[in-house]
Amino acid sequence: MSDHSSAMAPAPGAEARLFLAIERFPALTLYLKFALKAFQKQLAYKFEYFVGVANGLLFIFIFTSLWKNIFDTSKAAADISFSRQGMISYAVFAMIIRISMSQDDLGVMGKVRSGQIALDMIKPYNFFGATLAENIGGTMFHWFTRAMPILAVCMIFTSVTMPRDPVNYLLLILAWTLGYLIYFMVNFLFALLAFWIVETFSFQLMKYGMFTLFSGGIIPLDFFPDMVRPIVAWIPFMSVLYVPTAVFIGHLQGAQAAGFILFQAGWVVALGICCALTWRAARKKLIIQGG
Amino acid sequence: MSEKSLIQARRLRREFTVAEGRAGLLGSIKSLFSSKSSVIHAVDDISFSIESGEFVGYVGENGAGKSTTIKMLTGILTPTSGQAMVDGIVPYEERVKNAFNIGVVFGQRSQLWWDLPVSDSFDLLRAIYRIPGQNYSANLAELSSWLELGPLMKMPVRKLSLGQRMRCDLAAALLHAPKVMFLDEPTIGLDIIAKDNVRRFLKKINQERGVTIILTTHDMDDIEALCNRIIIIDKGKIAWDGDTGRLKDEHMKGKILEVEFHGDDPGQVALPGLSPFKREASKQWLRYSGDGGAGLNEVISALFANYCVKDLSIHAPKVADVVKAIYRQGEGRGEVGP
Repeated sequence: MSDHSSAMAPAPGAEARLFLAIERFPALTLYLKFALKAFQKQLAYKFEYFVGVANGLLFIFIFTSLWKNIFDTSKAAADISFSRQGMISYAVFAMIIRISMSQDDLGVMGKVRSGQIALDMIKPYNFFGATLAENIGGTMFHWFTRAMPILAVCMIFTSVTMPRDPVNYLLLILAWTLGYLIYFMVNFLFALLAFWIVETFSFQLMKYGMFTLFSGGIIPLDFFPDMVRPIVAWIPFMSVLYVPTAVFIGHLQGAQAAGFILFQAGWVVALGICCALTWRAARKKLIIQGG
Repeated sequence: MSEKSLIQARRLRREFTVAEGRAGLLGSIKSLFSSKSSVIHAVDDISFSIESGEFVGYVGENGAGKSTTIKMLTGILTPTSGQAMVDGIVPYEERVKNAFNIGVVFGQRSQLWWDLPVSDSFDLLRAIYRIPGQNYSANLAELSSWLELGPLMKMPVRKLSLGQRMRCDLAAALLHAPKVMFLDEPTIGLDIIAKDNVRRFLKKINQERGVTIILTTHDMDDIEALCNRIIIIDKGKIAWDGDTGRLKDEHMKGKILEVEFHGDDPGQVALPGLSPFKREASKQWLRYSGDGGAGLNEVISALFANYCVKDLSIHAPKVADVVKAIYRQGEGRGEVGP
């Protein structure tokens, strides 16, 4: 059993006591600790945090205003599958889900470029698992400290209401988790590009562009023209924000929702295989920058 | 080569394919479509074995292949051919298993979490290496007293000075009580006192804990103070491998006399038993090898009798001088055998 009582050992905090119970599962403990430390790390940057919250609110204000105007002035809006109120809900929740999914997508790339990845390679853990755990820790921080307060502000100052049916929440958890994993693995794959290409900035830019346009964060899948919609639907980005948002507000229901969630699960498997293969190839390619 | 050696390298080779960049915008566009590449032999047929408890200096110029060798022994890199073995494990095949046996310190990088207090990084390492509670506390208490970590434990790593950070990094690498420790330039950028502290600590863990240490450094004083064996690597090949004392005996026996003269430059000193080593204004460094039969006292008497000596000091040759000589020989005539 653990003994934290030595004078030199860290003081037995609540966290240490929490882990006493799961000390018998070292791997689980490790990844939980990774997540907790990442959470804690975020606390070091208070200014960043407040800017982040302000930024989120600003974007919500901009997009809800924009959609209100579009619905009030455009005749074409009547043909669209969203109601005025539904669209505002979509815009608010898509932005909140986007904030809740914030990930450190440049961390791995930075490690590869700086050679710091050597320090991960000399440790007895799985790099993918450790990176994911750290990311989850950071994301949990965003959930509780950014997404939640912003949601509370929106509940007070906008006409948006939370769904009543618990099924919506269940679907959200499922779709959010799968979307999160998809987003994480896409980021991971793009980061691994740094093994082959020294300057990956243009690829990152391309990824951001595609994410902004095709994730459903701004424009839901429904609004794409008939010709491109099937293509956009197939891009994994749609699974990241559109599916969780649409199932939560009840825009996607029943069999339709189930279909999209299955599709997400398919992408998780496919991307998981891609990550494993790419990581294996990257290990062979590994040249530590800077000696 | 003994089968039981703790660390073995057998005919290790590692090649890198490096794409050649072209200068200018046009060159960059051209290299988008056709890439010229060349093969670099970073490590070229290296064999050695290291026994448990040794303190080995692994020395070479920049780009000689030191880091590449260390990366193969730590499991980061896979060799192009040949084999490495650390405590019965092939590091690049069983990276995770090997990681439990080794501790690594890179002088230029920190393995501590930048934004977290030192104690949190240690706590995380404890989970990473699955160190049982009692072992951890006892080990940390000892390391902490040796390295005087007490006041640093609650500080975020980014606020530590380089010397403080290095002390914490050394402890971090030893928390799981590894058998082998790889140190890559651990004293780089440290002031004299911090360097001395690091050296004393390394000596202690080598002697008291029996940790086998492989040290790469450009600081020959590190080697001189610590290593009982030195492996010199030059252009990917081993240029010298053996006892540190023997290195001096074979390559630079005897003493160096540093002589300062009164008045005018007397010209190059020519006395039996002394050979010129270096000359600078009114100072001359002369090498006494003891081969000619004349004793050091006779040579010095002759020096005082024949020249106006203002000051004289006698030095033992430094490892740095010997290593420099070996590098230079390597440039001139290929390899230098032990």
